[in-house]
Amino acid sequence: MESYAVETIGLTKVFSDWWGRTKVYAVDDLNLQIRHNEVFGLLGPNGSGKTTTLKMLLGLLHPTKGHALLLGGDGTNPKINARIGFLPEESYLYRFLNARETLDFYGRLFGLTREVRQMRIEALLEMVGLKAVASRPVGTYSKGMARRIGLAQALINDPDLLILDEPTTGLDPIGTRQIKDLVLKLAERGKTILLCSHLLADVEDVCHRIAILYGGKVQAQGRVKDLLQQTDKRQIMTDAVSDDAVERIKSILRDEGVKFEVSSPMERLETFFIHTVAEAQQQAKPTSGAVSTTQIGDFLTAGAQKGSVLDKLVGAPDAEPATAAPQTENVAETEVPKRGADKNLLRELTKSAPASTEQTARTEAPRTEPVETKGQADSRQVQKKVLDDLLERPTTQERDRQGERKEGDPGHA
Amino acid sequence: MRRIWAVARNTIRQALRMKVAAAFIVLLLILLPILVLTITGDGTLKGRLQTFVSYGISLTSLLLSFLTIIVSIYTITSDIEHRQIYTVITKPNRRSHLNLGKLLGVVTLDVALLTLFAGIIYGAAVLMPRFVKASPQELEEIDRQFYTARTSLVPPEIDVREEVEALYQKLEKNDQLQQVYPNYPKPEILKQLTNQKRLEKRAAPVGQRLLWEFKNVRPLDANQSLFIRFKYDVSVTPPDEQVYGDWYIGDLRQLGTGPETATPVFRATRKDAARKFQEIEVPGSAVTADGYLAVGFINPPLNETVVIFPLEDGLEVLYKADTFTGNFIRAAILILLRLIFLACLGSLAGSFLSFPVAILFCLVIFLTGTVSGFVMESFGLLSQNIGVIYTYTVKGLVQLLPQFDKHNPTTFLVPARLISWAYVGKVALFMVGLRAFVLLVFALIIFSFRELARVIV
Repeated sequence: MESYAVETIGLTKVFSDWWGRTKVYAVDDLNLQIRHNEVFGLLGPNGSGKTTTLKMLLGLLHPTKGHALLLGGDGTNPKINARIGFLPEESYLYRFLNARETLDFYGRLFGLTREVRQMRIEALLEMVGLKAVASRPVGTYSKGMARRIGLAQALINDPDLLILDEPTTGLDPIGTRQIKDLVLKLAERGKTILLCSHLLADVEDVCHRIAILYGGKVQAQGRVKDLLQQTDKRQIMTDAVSDDAVERIKSILRDEGVKFEVSSPMERLETFFIHTVAEAQQQAKPTSGAVSTTQIGDFLTAGAQKGSVLDKLVGAPDAEPATAAPQTENVAETEVPKRGADKNLLRELTKSAPASTEQTARTEAPRTEPVETKGQADSRQVQKKVLDDLLERPTTQERDRQGERKEGDPGHA
Repeated sequence: MRRIWAVARNTIRQALRMKVAAAFIVLLLILLPILVLTITGDGTLKGRLQTFVSYGISLTSLLLSFLTIIVSIYTITSDIEHRQIYTVITKPNRRSHLNLGKLLGVVTLDVALLTLFAGIIYGAAVLMPRFVKASPQELEEIDRQFYTARTSLVPPEIDVREEVEALYQKLEKNDQLQQVYPNYPKPEILKQLTNQKRLEKRAAPVGQRLLWEFKNVRPLDANQSLFIRFKYDVSVTPPDEQVYGDWYIGDLRQLGTGPETATPVFRATRKDAARKFQEIEVPGSAVTADGYLAVGFINPPLNETVVIFPLEDGLEVLYKADTFTGNFIRAAILILLRLIFLACLGSLAGSFLSFPVAILFCLVIFLTGTVSGFVMESFGLLSQNIGVIYTYTVKGLVQLLPQFDKHNPTTFLVPARLISWAYVGKVALFMVGLRAFVLLVFALIIFSFRELARVIV
């Protein structure tokens, strides 16, 4: 088996002018290793070389120097292509074909039998919410709808490696949320996903690791958590507590001599929007656009046994629409263990609460996160345990222990 | 193959939804019935049929050629320009599969459209006599001279090399070469002298005779007629442009043996228009059992001019060898071979040129191919002073020209001349098997190695 799902070795692309003179380095000595079952984000501003890298990976451009390997082989090898799904930066589709014909065409290119094609086409149309408009030429689709059908064509072969270039461009917040959910679910199913975007929130929500490109070079690379965690700050989030308790906590923190701020968290606009549209959908308001669904094509989950714990976990939207799903699942994953520890700490802190009138220091704008109930947090912990087992990641308990060890560190308040 | 066919199906869909394709199809669907209704030819039923088939086939061939060029180029350049190629080429297909699929799609479309329009022309040609007032003689004439496929025998070339050499020596000895052929190279002088001598052999001064002998004349049926197709040229055009002629057709070797002959010898005294094709019908019994036939012409004193039979098409013997239907099918195949060549040419042009440049490139080749005889002759003349360079550079490229004019199906259908399967095979071999194949190989190589995306930074 190939060691990496995607690997580039000294990958370089020089853009030359008509006379062959070097004009610009689009990609410069790029070395990437993306492991199997990983969601990897390739970030960078416009013109940083993200799309050029993808084009070289897929053989659409020839590298000036270096090599690019996909699933251990060349990106132009049909055997490798058969295991790849690719969504370009725009859904470059045949405008005269309708959605069903489009998927049928791509299914044929993969050599799928008629039965398999039909089954997958129906499942994918259902999944991307275009079943009702499947007989309309894709040339008449909105950008978001075209994006959805573009995503469907990338999934028609149930790929092992999914390469998504700006997958959420042009999508409404619900579509964006769906794609992020889909990426997470596919990752849970063992797929490798290379996500290329300049929309940082998308990448932050779903990627395990990221690389940031600028000027064709990698400027930073690593796990999202490692790159983003502010180890010199702590955040405590509670249910609503009395003003008296807040004052006692403030007093303790003042005694510790640290800067702090207290505020009520705000719901994110994205969450609010999704709730609002979900309510409209429940009232069956008509639309000529795409319909948000929460289903994922059966064939994409064929590896899992029906009724397994994992199935129930990824099938959670059956009980709770994805459009109304909690905003930051993976953030919750990392925050849950700390929350347990923080509550203990809170209890400790609020046992004796001397009154204090000292003013709190406000040094930065409040960062807000959605408040979750204890019940939700517990449920997430169960889910996290199963996912951790599957992905062979450290369990939440192990992280708890690590967290507790860190709590003992006097440097962390 | 399934993947190639998937691309082909998509190409057909793409072509059919192109407005230009629809415009061409509609244009043909309108023009062909208009031709049926408006064409009169020379006023006779035969002339009307010949003109309709000639115009109909030429129009269909021309418009389908344009359509093939446009579609075969557009289907590739559009995919690259609009980047659909990103999602197609990253599927498990080799680039050659994409190219071949596109080609297959264009050719399949050509076959379908050609079948449709050739069917319309054939149907109209066959049904036309039912809707036109014509005498029984006219109906009989078209049956024998139009609704048939006649094989053609032309007189063998006479070896005139010795006479030409002698004439050249004489001119050189008398220092007349520079006067008659100023600054001409020797090969060109010899060529002109050869033509001159050959023409002399096909010229009959007043009171003189010409004799042509044919071997292996094998009519399909001994009861069927033979046709002597000829065209007079004259040194002095008569006032009424009419030329008299005495014709003797049969085994003329018997004429000295007495009044009884084993096979009949036919005589025809005629007056025909100069510089126009004429036909003399002769019973098939004029041919001997071993396939010998002689045609004799006497220029009577009434003419007062030398009668010449042009070298290319001055005289030939035609006899039925197949049916009109069979010949029409083979004529359609000739058009298809032309379209396949153009599809390969479009495929090549689209693989490395942008749409407008590729169209221009292909149209130049196409139009040059339709006058290839003239072009090749011109290049031959112009390059006489740079023979070696020409031989190793331009000549090869000129030889790659498709020579559409040489294989024009109307030149066969109008005089009801047989298009044999051997001829179709030969055209297929040289036009498709060789020329189109070379173009396709180049197209595949270029398309396989070129970058299909642009660097955007």
